[in-house]
Amino acid sequence: MTRKISIDPITRLEGHGKIDIFLNDQGGVDRAYMQVPELRGFERFAQGRPAEDMPQITSRICGVCPTAHHMAGTKALDDLYKVDPPAAAKKVRELVYSIFYVEDHALHFFYLAGPDFVVGPTAPKAQRNILGVLGKVGLEIGKEVIGMRKQLRELMTLATGKVIHPVFGLPGGISKPLKKDDQPKFVEAARHAVEFGKFTLKIFNDVVLKNPQYVEYITSEMYTHRTHYMGMVDQNNKVTFYDGMLRVVEPDGKERTKFAGHEYLKHIAEHVEPWSYIKFSYLKDIGWKGFNDGPESGIFAVAPLARLNAADGMATPLAQEAYQQFYQTLGGKPVHFTLATNWARVIELVYAAERMQELANDPETFSPNVRTLPTVKPDEGIGVIEAPRGVLIHHYKTDDRGIITNANLIVATQNNAARIALSVDKAAKGAITNGRIDDGVLNLVEMAFRAYDPCHGCATHALPGHMPLAVRVYRPDGCLVQELRRE
Amino acid sequence: MKPLILGLGNDLLSDDGIGYFAARKLAEEFGGRAQVRQTSCSGLALLDILIGCDKAIIIDAVQTGRVPPGTIIEFGPHDLRAIPNPSPHYTGLPEMMTLARELRLTFPEDIRILAVEAEDVHTIGGPLCAPVAAAIDKLVQMVNAYLEQWEKQARDLPAIAGRSETAG
Repeated sequence: MTRKISIDPITRLEGHGKIDIFLNDQGGVDRAYMQVPELRGFERFAQGRPAEDMPQITSRICGVCPTAHHMAGTKALDDLYKVDPPAAAKKVRELVYSIFYVEDHALHFFYLAGPDFVVGPTAPKAQRNILGVLGKVGLEIGKEVIGMRKQLRELMTLATGKVIHPVFGLPGGISKPLKKDDQPKFVEAARHAVEFGKFTLKIFNDVVLKNPQYVEYITSEMYTHRTHYMGMVDQNNKVTFYDGMLRVVEPDGKERTKFAGHEYLKHIAEHVEPWSYIKFSYLKDIGWKGFNDGPESGIFAVAPLARLNAADGMATPLAQEAYQQFYQTLGGKPVHFTLATNWARVIELVYAAERMQELANDPETFSPNVRTLPTVKPDEGIGVIEAPRGVLIHHYKTDDRGIITNANLIVATQNNAARIALSVDKAAKGAITNGRIDDGVLNLVEMAFRAYDPCHGCATHALPGHMPLAVRVYRPDGCLVQELRRE
Repeated sequence: MKPLILGLGNDLLSDDGIGYFAARKLAEEFGGRAQVRQTSCSGLALLDILIGCDKAIIIDAVQTGRVPPGTIIEFGPHDLRAIPNPSPHYTGLPEMMTLARELRLTFPEDIRILAVEAEDVHTIGGPLCAPVAAAIDKLVQMVNAYLEQWEKQARDLPAIAGRSETAG
């Protein structure tokens, strides 16, 4: 029997994620909880500011997904002023967004997932980083990744004016059109991105899928959860990132509901736990049924695996081929293996690159007409987008001058938070059997939440995957038996 | 080539902005002698900024919990791995340096980091806490000392026949 310990979230370690592991009498894990530091004061900070500043401000608070916040904020402004941007503006926004996705997903694969799957999850720590990855796949690829990134970032600057913090989205459109003379740059970069996507997929196939040990990890019960899945889809129910309806599927894959982002409050509710600052999203019509998976639970997941599960396919040919191979290999839809998110991410990278190519080659993307001026008084606006890490919602209320009176963000990681908690708990239980943890064991637990690539406050400035972590292990009587810090 | 002074941080996140605010002051003082930049980037993105420079000073916030807020901890590239609680901003820096070397990219051989112990890095819109703000003047002195040291080294280098040292 274990004694109940109440965890005080106030005693958090600044700048660190914290995992508290409570052992049972047999040296196994009774429960594991993960806490992350959260940013405070957003609502208060937003009040009194012009809503038009929010895309810039929110993109600066989160350094991991700045473009996602910028776009969600811009869409909220469109809604706030009830103004529909011209087609060219939407295309430019989506082109910029696709560029961001290629860069972000590539960064994740080579820097975050790569060290686990290309080098190996139990390889020595000193090798589990980008250098270890390049050691396995070749230095030339390192040059390719850096070169690709640089090219994409230059394009972003061309389109938006600044790389990390674009000053670009306005209610009803964007601040400046793309120049026709620049089209060849975009076309060439898109072509390069598609090639890059193809070879990243090939690396995944050659290095990960052909290694039976990795496939075993990916398909192991320790990293499996059967939750609902939510993802944005286009009018053909294909995966899309910039604009569409939100579709929720059951753990068995059947569609449960499909709704416009504007209706999110009817479908998504937030649950609070005493041991964490983060609010856990769940499906409102089912209700909060605790930290369980299965069709009776209101817990859902977002992000690459969820998006692929919630859709009927990918809208572009190479990505669609990869999508089919994914489900064939892993035993059909939906896939419940958390670690398969890393594969799903590479498939999305391919889609983002192909979409980038479609938009770069489309003459309308380079049209000068990129703004519809607002005419109505602002009141309330909701913008929903798929950030790389999942569904992101910006919700603003303003006075009739457009000054924020109330602002709420539901960030992607909140939507995954409950499933992340399930994953950490299950991985800890699977990995720890004799009451002690070492670096290799800790890594197995970390792999569980790293697959979600959580965008926590302190991860704002960290190299993705290098969130400092403090792990504390408690005996059943509540005594601390071990503390491990990962810097 | 002028040395790079790089302020890392986010001015929207209280003490996390120390590098950012310090960079503004440093640009006033040393704009002629160094390239001064500010960024919220980290890890791989820092690579873009650092490639092509041969000397750099990075100013940033850190939370070791072991020293009073406002304390400035200084270290050089060789210290990076040894420091128990580096800032997440440049956790990736040793890897970046090795990566740059492996890929034969020009990367500063001489990087100094001035890390200011922060009190609060989580309150959105909060100001710099007083002891952290007070560190800016000390940072100016320390940066000046590095610049003088490098400038002296450059002067003492014998001129190479057929080439001249560019002023930067």
